[in-house]
Amino acid sequence: MNRTAAAQPLPHRGRIALSLLLQLAWRNLWRHRRRTLITLCSIAVGFGLAVISIGLGDGSHNSMIRNAIRMGEGHLTVQPSDYLAAPANHKFLGDGNALTQQLAELKITGNVDPRIALQVLASTAHNAVGASLQGMDMRTDQRLPILQPRLAQGAWLKPEDERGILIGAGMASKLKARVGSKIVLMAGKQGGDSQAQLGRVRGIFNSGMAELDDFLVLSNLGFARHFLTGEGADPTRAPLTRFAIFLDDPDQLPRWKTTLSTAVTGEGTAVLDWQEMMPQLVQFIVVDDAGNYIFLTLILIMVGFGIINTVLMSVLERTREFGLLRALGLSRVHLLLLVFCESLLLSILAVAAGWLIGGLAHLWFAHNGIDLSAVMSEGTQIMGTFIDPVVYTELSWARIGQLTVIIFLTTLASGIYPAIKAARVTPVEALRT
Amino acid sequence: MALLALDGIGKCYRQGEIEVQALQDINLQVEAGEFAALVGPSGSGKTTLLNIIGGLDSPTAGCARLNDTDITQLNDRALANFRLFQLGFIFQAYNLVPVLSALENVELIMVLQGRSADERRERARHYLSLVGLEDIMHRRPSALSGGQQQRVAVARALAAGPRLVLADEPTANLDSENATALLDIMHRLSHEEQTTFIFSTHDPRVMERAERIITLRDGRIVSDQERELPHEAEL
Repeated sequence: MNRTAAAQPLPHRGRIALSLLLQLAWRNLWRHRRRTLITLCSIAVGFGLAVISIGLGDGSHNSMIRNAIRMGEGHLTVQPSDYLAAPANHKFLGDGNALTQQLAELKITGNVDPRIALQVLASTAHNAVGASLQGMDMRTDQRLPILQPRLAQGAWLKPEDERGILIGAGMASKLKARVGSKIVLMAGKQGGDSQAQLGRVRGIFNSGMAELDDFLVLSNLGFARHFLTGEGADPTRAPLTRFAIFLDDPDQLPRWKTTLSTAVTGEGTAVLDWQEMMPQLVQFIVVDDAGNYIFLTLILIMVGFGIINTVLMSVLERTREFGLLRALGLSRVHLLLLVFCESLLLSILAVAAGWLIGGLAHLWFAHNGIDLSAVMSEGTQIMGTFIDPVVYTELSWARIGQLTVIIFLTTLASGIYPAIKAARVTPVEALRT
Repeated sequence: MALLALDGIGKCYRQGEIEVQALQDINLQVEAGEFAALVGPSGSGKTTLLNIIGGLDSPTAGCARLNDTDITQLNDRALANFRLFQLGFIFQAYNLVPVLSALENVELIMVLQGRSADERRERARHYLSLVGLEDIMHRRPSALSGGQQQRVAVARALAAGPRLVLADEPTANLDSENATALLDIMHRLSHEEQTTFIFSTHDPRVMERAERIITLRDGRIVSDQERELPHEAEL
């Protein structure tokens, strides 16, 4: 019966299979099906809210950016290099023909709008106001699709109209001008003199944006070019103040900026992207994004506590079982990994459920949008641009990846404390419970 | 050389300001293949002694050598490894992992030991059939009776091939019929597998089947009796 015990070196334990840990973790997760489902639902709803919130934020920002680019100076702007720092009417691109030729040779995939922008004083017999005269090509300019439908009175300018102007409703009111009224546009000249042109109001637009309606005077390039000629420009070389470049694929902006900078940047010419042209808008979006991230942080805290609650409760009620497993030979690392695997699986499920809810909501809002016109009583204009009253959620792949990683890491990190708690179980104390 | 040698084992607990001497100067040698019972009233130190032998608790005095390894000198990781390969445990209750089937429970330790899937599956089936559970090996613990669960625990303890099986009140939660059946199985397998069993009990049915009865009182061994028992075939 007796067997003599010989001293033998202990064999090394086999590496515990991850599949076994995952299998155990999966089954442990569903021991309390209702609790796990409630936790998953709370995380998924929170995640869904975050997705919608971020999607709406991105959608409204992108709407603002797109409108700012369309109403402003495009994705890229070619203009006198010192214009941005100190705008002045005498700073212009003297040889518009040569630059047009250069840009045409680059075969830019998009539109290139020649423009003249000048600071003028608009006056009638009743009043005088500061104004921005925008000389534009009435056949191709990218602002036309936005402004033309907002014409409230009169008719739009014909391309060959050398004397006609369009003004906003705000300016018309201040100048007491109507369709057919004459407005004197006066601009200071370098050296102290001034020059003036007489424009006749062909139409009055109402964009809903005070900055445009109170300040903008639209004309054909030829009308505005008279002022550049007055500054000494050669009209035969088609002088301009800038080219606004609209890219078909905005993602190609960095490439085109480099290409354009190499091709046209010379003495007195600069290529600027929309962010350089509209730093206030960029700043606004950064600040607004910060607000969204605060909301996201609150969601993450909620998610984190949800996971900690579920996993910690699950750990605390299994203290005796962990003691048993430790007695049987599971190391602390095994227990740590086991509980961590439970958090891992919960995280994966939470992210999947979150994307299911958030993704479906996003798809719906991306297709149907949310009409915010009722809550935006003071109009949809912000930072010199405007948000479309119906906002559609937008999520880029980068954003999807970012949200997934953030939620995933949060849920995973929430499992660390319960895992450590489980690993600290001592068999003899646990088995006494 | 004895399989298990306890030399001057003492265990002292502190409960607030009070010092409790759970074990005092325990000297004991157990040979391989013995079927021994630790008996004594509640609080006599049976479970504490089993915990020290099993490396689940550490003594405050003395040393415990199992298979010529001083387990009191092993660190946490080495102890876990030691328990994995050298010891089998059967506890009073809550013996099994609830989310695993009987077969998976028996396989669990062998997975940790690094045995191949085929080997552990074959051994698990073999030992479950030895304890008479081959037909219900895919059931989870919640679908097994208390007696069946303890039999799974016996199969699990033996399938891993330990030198020593420690059983803490294995029949405490079982009715008379199941307790007797379990003891018969343990006794038979002890002989067939040449595995040493030490179990704590104050159940007379268990004591009847023990070949050696070590009696503890107030943390000391007060008697150590060996006796010859007929083998199961002769019972």
